[in-house]
Amino acid sequence: MRKEIIVLGLLFGLILSGCAVKPTDPDELVIYEQNNDPLEPMNRAVYKFNQGAYDYVLKPAVRGYRKAVPNVVQTGIANFMANLKQPVYMINALLQGDFKATGDIAGRFALNSVFGLAGIFDLATREEIPVIKRDFGQTLAVWGIKNSGPYLMIPILGPTTVRDGIGVGVDTFADPVDWILYRQSKWLAYGRAGANGFLQFENKYDLLEDMEKNSTDSYATMRSMYQQNCQKEIGELRGEVQEVQAAYDYDFPDDEEDE
Amino acid sequence: MKKLFVLIMGLLMLPMVARAENPAIDFVNRVTDDIINNVLTADVSKEEKLSRFRAEFTKALDLKNIGQFVLGIYWRKATPTEKDEFLKAFTDLTTKSWADRFDSYQGQKIVFTGVRNAERNQFYVDSTIQNNPPVEVTWRLKQKDNTYRIIDIIVEGVPMAMSYRNEYSAFLQSHGGSIRALTEELKNKSDNFKWSEKKE
Repeated sequence: MRKEIIVLGLLFGLILSGCAVKPTDPDELVIYEQNNDPLEPMNRAVYKFNQGAYDYVLKPAVRGYRKAVPNVVQTGIANFMANLKQPVYMINALLQGDFKATGDIAGRFALNSVFGLAGIFDLATREEIPVIKRDFGQTLAVWGIKNSGPYLMIPILGPTTVRDGIGVGVDTFADPVDWILYRQSKWLAYGRAGANGFLQFENKYDLLEDMEKNSTDSYATMRSMYQQNCQKEIGELRGEVQEVQAAYDYDFPDDEEDE
Repeated sequence: MKKLFVLIMGLLMLPMVARAENPAIDFVNRVTDDIINNVLTADVSKEEKLSRFRAEFTKALDLKNIGQFVLGIYWRKATPTEKDEFLKAFTDLTTKSWADRFDSYQGQKIVFTGVRNAERNQFYVDSTIQNNPPVEVTWRLKQKDNTYRIIDIIVEGVPMAMSYRNEYSAFLQSHGGSIRALTEELKNKSDNFKWSEKKE
């Protein structure tokens, strides 16, 4: 019954809420524009739905996984799944015109696949080959699509933007590993997607717990963190090293801090 | 001219960074060492740990400055009493949040990778916590009369001060801009704080 109510609530949210009202106060308007979240009412409804799914399904699953599976095995599984993502990262690095990254990713993939038992052992990190992730959302950003589009909260998958959402779609479609798996059986491809989703959630578990415990508005904290992190990644891709500095400034006079 | 001087000084400092002789790096190094040795790995009760952490944390961080920043546009609108009460509640909760985060420390090494100058006597000290995967942490410092205070901790490119600011402005927007309501919520969070279970 509870679930029906959530789903119903979600649908209502989608239909009724539409767009957030633009504030008229100039200061609040600045914040509104920084947030880049015109679909906030809908996003918040999806976020609430996600929290339910996390609390009742995914979080218990992660706790069970962590309890049942020894640490070494967990690392092996994470390494194996990460290794399978290297081909699509490599394609993106190439599309971004970043030959150094392309080489690093190719080297990592070759070394771990051949000598690391199909990627179970991460020898590349031991050899100090950097871990590089390149997705199609970034590729679009590098190609000059500077505007990420509004912030979006997707059911189960969580935060993204229109640009990155499209990126995920393209990556899934273009992933050579998926093509190979799909030709064997579509369930292999689905299984891989499910396992990746689970591992990604496992990776964010502690952060989510931290946010829910410490934040007065965990939706806003997640949005802020997601956006800062994207800014950093894309800034780095464009070679903007100082981007952290430029991102914000303490905007009050020095002497005001003294009593 | 001043900028050029800063730039040249920055370049001159680069080789020193590797030897960790830079005063800004020394400061962060000392703070983290003190917290690790006197709090995290000390064999004392949980209450004693928290009170020691609080002493180190409030000394190292300029929480008044941070509190002011995180309230953003709402700081100017607050009365002196509201400011004081907010700062107290903010300090209480932030101290607990960070004590809890530091408590997951399991002997990882912190390696300082560099220091960058910013405007207005500010520095960014870059460090890597040698975790698996490694975590990049940048400490934003402000220098005043030869002493440093931390004004932000940037974890994996996410400045904490900015996160707090965005969080609080969202809370305030949905509560009619009432700083009193925010302060109450912070107190509530702090009083009912659930400590993480230690792994293993």
